[in-house]
Amino acid sequence: MKFWILPTFLCVEIAFFVWLGAPQLGSTGAWVQYLHTYFTDLMAQSAPMLLLAGGMTVVLLTGGIDLSIASMVALVASIMALFPGNSHFWWTAIPTGLTVGILLGLTNGLLISKVNIPPIIATLGTMILYRGLCFVLLGDRELSPFLEVTHYDSLGQFASSLLLVAGVLGAGGSWFWLSRWRRETLMIGGNPVAARYAGIPVNWRLCQVYAMMGLLAALAAVCFTARNGSVSASSLSGLELHVIVAVVLGGTRVQGGTGTLIGSVFGVLIIAVLDEGLRGASGWADRHLPFKIGHLEFILLGLLLVVGVWLTSRSHPRRH
Amino acid sequence: MMLTSSLRQRAVLLLIGNFLLLLLISLSIQQGGSFGEVLARSGPNVAPVVLAGLGLTGIIFTGAIDLSISSIIVVSGTVFGLLVHREAPPWFAFASCAACAWALSNVNAWAVRTLGIPAIIVTLAGLAFYRGLALILADVGVPDFTGNIAIHNEAYHLPGKVYAGWILAGILAAALIWERFSEIPKRWLAFGNSPEACRLSGLHTGRILQSAFSASGVFLGFAALIYVTRVQSIEPARMALGFELQVIGAVILGGTHIFGGEGSYLGTVLGAFFLYFTSELLVYAGVSAYFQEVITGTVILAVIGLDCGLQRERKLLDELS
Repeated sequence: MKFWILPTFLCVEIAFFVWLGAPQLGSTGAWVQYLHTYFTDLMAQSAPMLLLAGGMTVVLLTGGIDLSIASMVALVASIMALFPGNSHFWWTAIPTGLTVGILLGLTNGLLISKVNIPPIIATLGTMILYRGLCFVLLGDRELSPFLEVTHYDSLGQFASSLLLVAGVLGAGGSWFWLSRWRRETLMIGGNPVAARYAGIPVNWRLCQVYAMMGLLAALAAVCFTARNGSVSASSLSGLELHVIVAVVLGGTRVQGGTGTLIGSVFGVLIIAVLDEGLRGASGWADRHLPFKIGHLEFILLGLLLVVGVWLTSRSHPRRH
Repeated sequence: MMLTSSLRQRAVLLLIGNFLLLLLISLSIQQGGSFGEVLARSGPNVAPVVLAGLGLTGIIFTGAIDLSISSIIVVSGTVFGLLVHREAPPWFAFASCAACAWALSNVNAWAVRTLGIPAIIVTLAGLAFYRGLALILADVGVPDFTGNIAIHNEAYHLPGKVYAGWILAGILAAALIWERFSEIPKRWLAFGNSPEACRLSGLHTGRILQSAFSASGVFLGFAALIYVTRVQSIEPARMALGFELQVIGAVILGGTHIFGGEGSYLGTVLGAFFLYFTSELLVYAGVSAYFQEVITGTVILAVIGLDCGLQRERKLLDELS
C-alpha cells in the first residue's frame, strides 16, 4: 500500500464527521475551541487502543492473533478495582495489575507455543475464560475505587496519555524496529519451521510476544480505568475486533510476515474517528435514518476488516 | 466412511465419558428431580449445538472455519421475530428463518472464494457484520424497537419446544447415513488434506468449498430454527453470544482436526453431548452460575490442548519429511 493513502483517508474522514456532527459555529475562535476539544478527546479516548494495537501488530507479525485482549484489559481492571481506593493504590494495585497482565499473556503464549493450540482457538478460549473470571470477581457490581485515588485521573487526561503512548510506542517501537527481535519475529511469521532451523528459539519468542501483549493490556487497563473511573464485568467487550481491524487497516498482514507500527497508529486513529464520529452524528441520524447509528459500526467494522485484509493481500501476493 | 483408529478411539472415550457424567448426574440429583427427565430434556437442549456442530464439522473437514454462526443465528432469529411481529403464518416464519441461515452461509462461502481471504478472517468480519445487520433489521422492521421482540403465541414455539427431539433424531440419522455413503464429505476431507492435490486431480476446488458451506447452511438453518423457537423473546444484541465457541468445542472434542482433513460427524455429536452433560452436572452440583463460563472455557481449552499436544509429535515428523 502507498504510504500516503492512510493519512489522506484519515483527513477526509475527520473532515466528513466534523461536517456531519459539528454544531453551527459562528466565529473562527469557536471553531478552534471545538477542534481543540475534539482532538484532545480523540487522543485520550484512543490511548488504550493505541497501546493494544502496538502489541497486536507484533502478535500478527508472528502469524498469530490475540482475541483475548479485551477480556485481559477487563480482568486486570477488575482485579485493580478490588483494591481499596486510597494512597496505597499506587504501589499495590498497579504493580499487581501489571504482573497479572504479564501472567495472563504468558498463559496465552504457553498454550500457543508449548501446547501447540492454533492462536485463534487458544485466545478464543482464554477470551471466554478471562471474561468468566471477571464475572466471578465482580458479579453484577460496578466498582469505582479509581475516583478516590489521588492524581489517578490525571493518567487519563490528554497530556499523560500522550506521554504514555509516545513512550511505549515511540521508545519501545524504535527499539523493536532496530533490534534483532523484530527480524526474528518476522521470520517466525514468515516460516516458523525455517526459523527454528535457523536457531531462533521460536517457542520462547512466542511466549515473550504474548507476555508483552499482556503487559500492554495491563497498561491499557490503567489508561481505561483512569479515564472511565469505573469497571464492570462486561466492560470493553468487542474491543478486540476494533484493534484487529485497526491493525489490519494499517497494512499488517494477517498471515504474518509484514507490518508496521506507524500504519497501526493510523489504523487506530481511523477507527477512533469513526467511533467518535458515529456518536457525534447521532443527532443527524435521528432525523434522517430509521435505525440507531451505533449499529452501523458493527457493519462498518466487518467491511473494513475484509477490505483491509483484501488490500494487503493484493499488495503482498503470497509467494510459493 | 469407516472411522480411522484415532477417531474410533476418541468416540469410545467420549462414550465412556458421557456415561460417567450421566452416572455422576444421577448420583447428584436432589430430592424431587428425576433422572429420566434429565435424559428427556437433554435432546432438545443440545439440539442447536449438535446441528450447528454437524454443519461446522463439514466446513472444518475442508480446513476452513466459520466463526460467524452465532451472528447468523441472530439474523435468522430477527427475521423470524419480524415475521411473527407482522403475524405471518408459522410455516412461513419457520421456512424464512432456516432459509436465511442457509443464504448467509452461502454468502460466507462466496466471500471466501471471490476475495481469496482466509475463511477465519471473512467469518470474523461476519461475526460483527451480521450482528449489526440484525440490529438494523430489528430497528427498521419494528416501530419503536425496545431491544427485544416477545413471542407469545405458542404456535410459533412448536419446532423448538415440541418437535426438537424428533427433528434432531431425524436429521442425525440422515446425516450419519449421508456421511457413510455419499462421496461429497470425502471430497471435503481430501480438500482439507491437500487443496493442491485436489486441484491437480481435476476437482473444482471452489465448488468443494461452496458445497461444504452450503451443506453447513442447511444444518445451521435447522439449528437456528430450534434455537430461535425455544426462547420467549428475540434479543438481537445479546442472543447466542459465545455460541460459536460451544460449537467449535464440540467439533474439536469429537476428534475433528482443527486444520482439516480428518474427522467424523459421530464424534461431533458425542462431543456436544459431553459438553452439555458437563454443564448439567455443574448445575446439579450447585456450582454458581458465574463459575459456569470459567469452567466451560477451561474444559474446552483443556480438551483442545490435549488434542493439539498429542498431535505435536506427528506435526514435528511432518516437518521433517
